[in-house]
Amino acid sequence: MRSKLAPIAVLAVATLGLGLAGCSTGGGDDGDSVTISLGSWRTEDIAMWEDEIIPAFEASHDGIKVEYAPTDTNDYNAAIQSQVEGGTGPDLIMCRPFDVNRAWIGDGYFDSLADLDAVGKFSETALAAWTGDDGTPYCIPVASVLAGFYYNKAIFDEVGVDIPTTQDEFLDVLKTIKDDGKYAPLALGSADGWQLGYNVLYNIGPAYWKGEEGRLGLIDGSKKLTDPDFVAAFAAYDALKPYLPSGYESLTYDDMSQLFSLGQAAILPDGSWNINQVTSTGLDVGVFGAPAVDGKRYQQEMPDMAFGLNASSKQKEAATEFLEWLATPEFEQLYVNKLPGFFSMSSNTISYDNPLATEFAALKDGAELTPRLALDRLSAGTPPLDDEIWRIAQLMYNSDLSPEDATAELQAGLDSWYTPAG
Amino acid sequence: MNRTAARYRNLILFVLPALLVYTAFAVFPLVNSVGLSFFDSDGPTDVFVGAENYVHLFTNPATSGRFWNALGNSVEFFLIHLIVELPIGLLMAALLTSGVLRRSVGIYRTLLFIPATLSVVIVGFVWRLIISPLWGVVAFPLLGTEATALPTISLMSVWQYVGIPMVFLYTALLAIPNDVLEAARIDGAGGWTQFWRIKFPLIAPQFGLITILTFIWTFNGFDIVYALNGSAPGPNYSTDIFGTLFYRTFFGSSGQVADQDLGATIATVISRSSC
Amino acid sequence: MTRSATAARPLGITVTHVLLIAFVILAIAPVLVVIMNSFKTTPGIFLSPFGLPDAETFSLKGYESVLKRGNFLVNYRNSILVTVGTTAAVVVLSTLAAWALTEYKVRIAPLLAGFFILGIMLPIRLGTVPILRTMISWGLIDTLTALILVYTAMQLPLAIALMMTYFRSVPGELKEAAKIDGAGELRTLGIALPLVRPGIAAVASITMLPVWNDLWFPLILAPSRENQTVTLGVQQFVGQFQNDYPALLAALTLGAVPLIVLFTVFSRQFINGLSAGYGK
Repeated sequence: MRSKLAPIAVLAVATLGLGLAGCSTGGGDDGDSVTISLGSWRTEDIAMWEDEIIPAFEASHDGIKVEYAPTDTNDYNAAIQSQVEGGTGPDLIMCRPFDVNRAWIGDGYFDSLADLDAVGKFSETALAAWTGDDGTPYCIPVASVLAGFYYNKAIFDEVGVDIPTTQDEFLDVLKTIKDDGKYAPLALGSADGWQLGYNVLYNIGPAYWKGEEGRLGLIDGSKKLTDPDFVAAFAAYDALKPYLPSGYESLTYDDMSQLFSLGQAAILPDGSWNINQVTSTGLDVGVFGAPAVDGKRYQQEMPDMAFGLNASSKQKEAATEFLEWLATPEFEQLYVNKLPGFFSMSSNTISYDNPLATEFAALKDGAELTPRLALDRLSAGTPPLDDEIWRIAQLMYNSDLSPEDATAELQAGLDSWYTPAG
Repeated sequence: MNRTAARYRNLILFVLPALLVYTAFAVFPLVNSVGLSFFDSDGPTDVFVGAENYVHLFTNPATSGRFWNALGNSVEFFLIHLIVELPIGLLMAALLTSGVLRRSVGIYRTLLFIPATLSVVIVGFVWRLIISPLWGVVAFPLLGTEATALPTISLMSVWQYVGIPMVFLYTALLAIPNDVLEAARIDGAGGWTQFWRIKFPLIAPQFGLITILTFIWTFNGFDIVYALNGSAPGPNYSTDIFGTLFYRTFFGSSGQVADQDLGATIATVISRSSC
Repeated sequence: MTRSATAARPLGITVTHVLLIAFVILAIAPVLVVIMNSFKTTPGIFLSPFGLPDAETFSLKGYESVLKRGNFLVNYRNSILVTVGTTAAVVVLSTLAAWALTEYKVRIAPLLAGFFILGIMLPIRLGTVPILRTMISWGLIDTLTALILVYTAMQLPLAIALMMTYFRSVPGELKEAAKIDGAGELRTLGIALPLVRPGIAAVASITMLPVWNDLWFPLILAPSRENQTVTLGVQQFVGQFQNDYPALLAALTLGAVPLIVLFTVFSRQFINGLSAGYGK
C-alpha cells in the first residue's frame, strides 16, 4: 500500500543512510597518519600495488598511507580533467607522455618538481616526455616500455622457421607459416587502431625513417611524411596484410592476445607490458625485434608513465616523499619485477628476474632507440597526428588505401595546423 | 483576486523543491557549459570570442568533417533503432495480448524485459563475443567493417531496449475496452482483422510517444558505442555519434588534447538541434 | 484482467508460443552466456565461449577476485542507497510539482511545465564541470548525496511529464467534493494520490534503470573506494590492455542480479500501474 508517507519515509531513511555514507571522503588526516591517493589508468595493476608496493612504502615511511585509485584508461583523461578543474583529484597523478601532458602542464594541473632529489636520477631524455616548455620537470618517470614481436617457439620449431632479421626474411617466415596452414602467421587485427600504430607501424617503421632522425625531422619540418623513407615504412606495414587472420577487421587487441596465448598464432606484434598475458597459458614464448634495414637496427622505447604532483593536493609533503621514493632502487626493483615488461628509466642498476623481460630488454643492445613517432608535439592540434595514424593504419588494412595516398593524407592533416618548431 | 493569489502561492510552494533541484543541477550547469562556447580559454584568462568557436566548428575542414559525420551517424543510429524496434515491440505486445495465452503471459513478459535491465557493458561484451569472427558464430567482421559497424551497434541497442516499447504497447493494448472487442467479435471479425482494424488504430498514438523518446535517448545516448569502441569510435569514425564526438573533444583522449571550448560549442549545437 | 479469447485455434496457440519462445531465447541466451562464462577460466572462456564449464575450465577465481578485491558489499550498498534515494526523491518531488501544475490553472503554470519538460532533451553530462564545481563548493564532493541530487535533476523532467498525464485524469468531481468538505491543499492531494498510484509505479521503474546502470557520474562525483557504485566497481576489472575476464564477468553478473530480481518480482505491479493509467 503506497500512501503519501511511504515515499517520504523512504526518503528519510535514504537521507539518513546518506548522512552516514557521505561522511567519508578520500584522503585526509586519520589520527596521526596521512593518506595520499594515486590516480592511474592501470587498473590491472591494483593487485600488485596493494599487495606489494604500497606495503613496502608504508613500512619504510611511518605515518603515510597510500591509496591506489585507478580509473579505466578510456575514462582516465576525462576523470582527471573533471576532478582537477573542479579542484580535487588524486594527490599524485599518473602522467600521459608528451603532448597530452603538456596540455595539462599548461593548464596548471601540476606543481614543479625541480627541487626534488629524484630528478637528478634521470637523464634529460628520460624526463623529456614530462617536461614543460621551459625545461621544468613536472613528473617523475616510473617506467618505459618496448615494442617487439612475441613468437611461439613451439610453432617456429614445428614449421621450421628461424627468427627473421630483415624484412624479406620476415615476410618469408610469414609465408611459410601461412602455407603450412595449421596456424595463423600473425595474431593481428585492425579493430583497435592504437595498437596498429604503437605496436606495428612504430615498431617496424623506425628502421625506415631512421629513428630520431626521422622523428625530429618531422618536428622541425625538415622531413615530411611523404618522403621516400616514410612511404617505405608504410609500405612495409602494408606488406603484412596478406598474413592477417580472416575476419581481422573485427579482431580487437584482446582477441589478438588471446589468439596468441591459446597457441593458435605464431607471431604477436605487441608491447613489452603484455609479458604476463602471453605467458599466462604456459607457452614457450620468445621475442624478436623489428627487422633491420641496411643492417641497422632500431628499437622503439617509449617513456610510458610517470607521476606528477597535483597542484591542489592537500598532502603535498607526504606526496613529495612518495615521489622521492620512486627514484630509489627499492621501488624500481620491486616495480619492474612485479610488472615484467616495464623497464626502469633511472640511473640505478636494476636486475630483471623475468627471463622474457630480460630478453626484451636485450633488444636494446646494438639498436638505436626512439620513442613512438607522433606523440611529441605532432599531436597537440587538430587533427592530432597520432590519432590520424591510428585511423589511416586501420584504413590501410581495411581498404585499398596505398602507402602514397596514406602518407599524403597524413601530411596534409599535419600541415593544416602544425608549424614546425625551428 | 484572493483565489488567484492563493493559487500562485500554492503552485510555487509545491513546485519549488523540484524547481530548485532541477535548476541547480541540470539547467544551471548546462547554461554554464554552453557559456564556455563563447570563450577561448586556451590562454591564462578566458577571452570572449563571440561566435568564433561556432564558425571554427563549421568551417575548419577537420572539425566540421567530424561534426557532420557524427550528425549523419546519429541520425542513422536513431532511424535503424526506431525502424527495427517499433515493429518488433509491436509484434511482441500483440502476441502477448492475443488472448491465446493464459498463465504464461507474465513469464514471457518478464523474460523479454530482462535485457532492458542490463548494464551496457554486458550487452557490449556478450554481443561482441557472439559476432566475433574468431570466437563467435559469425564469420563476417561486422564490427570491423565501416558499412556494417554502426547498424550492428544499433541492433545491439535494439536488442537491449525493445522491452520498453513492448511494455508501452502491451499496456496500451490491454487498455482497449472489452466491449469494443466484443462488438467486433460478434460482428464476425477474426483475430487478424481485430488487430489491424481495431487495436492498431487505437494504439497508434503511442507510436508518437515512443518515437520521441527513442529520438531523445539515442541522440543523447552514447553508452553502447562508448562501451564497445571507446571515445574514438572506428572504424574510421563510422560509429562516431554526437555523444562520443563531444566526449572526445571536451575531454581529450590518450592521444588527443582536450579542447573544452570546442566541446562546449558542439554540445550547444547538439542540444539546439534536438529541440 | 480477463480477455475474451477469440476462437483460439490450436495452430494460433502454437504459432504464438513458438514466436514468443524464439524471442525469449534471443533475449535470454546472451545473458546466460555471460553467467556461464563467469564460472570459467580465461582460456576456457575463449576456447569455447558457448560451452558449459567442464572439469578443466570450471573456476570460481573470477568470483574470488571480485569478492576479495571488488569491495562488492560496499558497492551494493552504495548503489542501493543512490537508486532508492533518487527514486524516492523523484517520486515525491515530481508528484508535488505535477499536482500543482495540473491543479492550479494560472498563467505561469504552462511556462513552468514547459521549462521542466524541456529538460527531457537536455544532455546533463555536458554540464559535468559546473556540477563538479558546485558540489565542491557545497562540500558534497565524493558523496552519495551528490549523486542523488544530480540524478534527481536528471530524471525530474520525464517524471513530471508522466505524472502530469496521470493527474489530469483525476476526476474533477472528486477534488470538488473534497474542497467542499473543507479539505486543504495537502488533503486534496492525498485524496487524489491513490488514483495516480500507477503513475508513481511507472515513474519509479523508469527512474531506477538508468540510475543503477549509470557509469559516468559515479566516476566523477563519487570515485573513492567507499563510495563506488556497483557499475563503477565493475570497471576496475577493465584494464588498460587486458581485462580480467573471469572477474569482469563475475562482477557483471553480480551487478545485474538485483535489477533482474527487482523487475521480475515487481513486474506485475509495474504493468498494473501502467495499464491502469492508460485506461483513463
